[in-house]
Amino acid sequence: MTVPTNPLLHYNPYEAKHQLDLSLAKAYLLLHSQLKPPFPLTIPSPSEYALLTQALAFSLLTQPDLTKINLKHLHASATDGYDIFTTTLLNLTDNCYPKLLPVPRTQLLFLCSQLINVAAFKVDSLVISLLRRINGGDFTEPNLWLCAELAKILSDNWDWLIDEPLVLTSALFVFLRLLADHYRLVSGPQLDELKRLEISFCIRVLRNCFHLCLGIGRDLIRLLQDLFVIPEFKELWKDLICDPCKFGVLGFSDLCDIYRIKTPRHYFLLRISQEMEAQLRFLLTHVKWVNQQRYQVWFAKKYLSLPGSETVIVDVIRFICQCYHPSKEIIQSNVISRWAVIGWLLKSCKRNYFEANAKLALFYDWLFFNDTIDSIMDIEPAMLLIVSSVPQYMEITHCLLEFLFLVVDNYDVQRKNVIAKGVLGAFNALVKRGVVHSLEVLMNCDKLSPFLREKLSKFLFDKALVSQEKEIIQMQSGDHQDQIAGMPEQAHQWL
Amino acid sequence: MQKQSWMKLKDLTPAASNSINATVILVEKGSTIEEGKEKTKKCVALVADETACVNFQMWGAECEAFHPGDIIRISKGIFSRHKNKLLLRAGKRGSVEKVGEFTMLFVESPNMSEMRYVPDTNLPSKLVPESQLTKP
Repeated sequence: MTVPTNPLLHYNPYEAKHQLDLSLAKAYLLLHSQLKPPFPLTIPSPSEYALLTQALAFSLLTQPDLTKINLKHLHASATDGYDIFTTTLLNLTDNCYPKLLPVPRTQLLFLCSQLINVAAFKVDSLVISLLRRINGGDFTEPNLWLCAELAKILSDNWDWLIDEPLVLTSALFVFLRLLADHYRLVSGPQLDELKRLEISFCIRVLRNCFHLCLGIGRDLIRLLQDLFVIPEFKELWKDLICDPCKFGVLGFSDLCDIYRIKTPRHYFLLRISQEMEAQLRFLLTHVKWVNQQRYQVWFAKKYLSLPGSETVIVDVIRFICQCYHPSKEIIQSNVISRWAVIGWLLKSCKRNYFEANAKLALFYDWLFFNDTIDSIMDIEPAMLLIVSSVPQYMEITHCLLEFLFLVVDNYDVQRKNVIAKGVLGAFNALVKRGVVHSLEVLMNCDKLSPFLREKLSKFLFDKALVSQEKEIIQMQSGDHQDQIAGMPEQAHQWL
Repeated sequence: MQKQSWMKLKDLTPAASNSINATVILVEKGSTIEEGKEKTKKCVALVADETACVNFQMWGAECEAFHPGDIIRISKGIFSRHKNKLLLRAGKRGSVEKVGEFTMLFVESPNMSEMRYVPDTNLPSKLVPESQLTKP
């Protein structure tokens, strides 16, 4: 029986073979004769077991005809809760998924569901890695297929899923986000089926596990807002606003209860791929000012060139604000700043809808800013983009400030005071921590439109707001002293 | 088999031997032209590492295989004069393959293809860039 060369990964001409592919293929070559019965009765040594697992993984992924016998062998020989096997699939997903050929790809998803059935060690991580592999802004068939497969697997394994809050809420985060893009696409039988799966999954999770959904925090509201046009979500919104008790969760009686909860950072990794994350981290850690041009062109070509792909800019901005906080050394070095990269991303939005969502993504942490639980590094990029654009790029300063005030007034009209307090708190924290020396740079800027200068002044010195803010600070320092988790104070020395 | 030693582009000197082993990133790619009766495809790209950049000649299928942002490993390549241009290429006995994307720092000067090379003061048989000429 011959194995075709490269049955696992697709290689373009002149492309180097991947290390993982090489080691799996090598293990298979060594042990393939032992993969048929009779299976040895002796217990393999750890290194023998590792090699056997790799050989089995290779065969399971590339030889679907032998699935039944290989699975039997896997179940019979697993002595580590499938740890090595699942880790192998996890490494493959994290490092090679885009290059997987169609057969191994299908097998990988199949194996994932098999591992869920046996509650394999680390299968939760595997599912989360696969969720990350659903590319944002990619409406090609293989990507939509992956989305549907994962929705089906998770729906079919509900009993397992409700005992895995992290996977459950991560999946909800992902499908809510994808649904916003999929719903706007032109219909078709495959797409309609996918939308139905996504809607059904999300509503089921929200209606049955709302206590777990709360753990997602304030970005859950951001995601739900884009789905208001979907009838099932309109109903959900009605209940959220008018009948919160329907969700039966103690501690949830109003949207403010959700606004108050900061979304844990790991959720923002879910919507950017592993490669995108590596490239963004590289750009923001190593590339010096002036040199970023080439990298930006390559990034845009790879991720932002297809129609509709700019939707992912929202997720990139959330990632940059929340998941990448540069060290003091990097900030003081000549490496390109986050605000500059975000400025480039905002400019890359071709349509108003995406640009508005991108700006909301940039300012979202301002709206509910609480100095005791939120990090100054979440809100720093927006402030620096605003002030650094003075005086050469005033249109950016104007655009961002206008947007900020628009959002304060209109994001949640009934809870406008909460949002105004949040934004005021953000401005105050930015000055207090030295991100900007003071807001004079804006208020005394004669290039800034008089309308915006007045609006800013009025906002900052609104007596009602200021006194409420003082009350909140007193409340926070009194009740929450012990809850101030040691968020490292990022004291910058701004030149 | 000779052990491969990896070098930085700043240490490139023209030679007839295929001994260049380097990892570079493709910065910019020129257009592909077809030459001669057989319409052999040729294309020149700017490749670079942290120390320098150089003009890299691609032949045939190589022209379609590599794109800006690709990290390329050149083994047993040649850096020599071809039609009065100093070019790095894989050559007949060398190889070139893509090993990654994006995550490599680079500079766009000096360009070793534009260097003037002169005999080394102390070892006249060896060529060095004029700027690196050591005092006798």
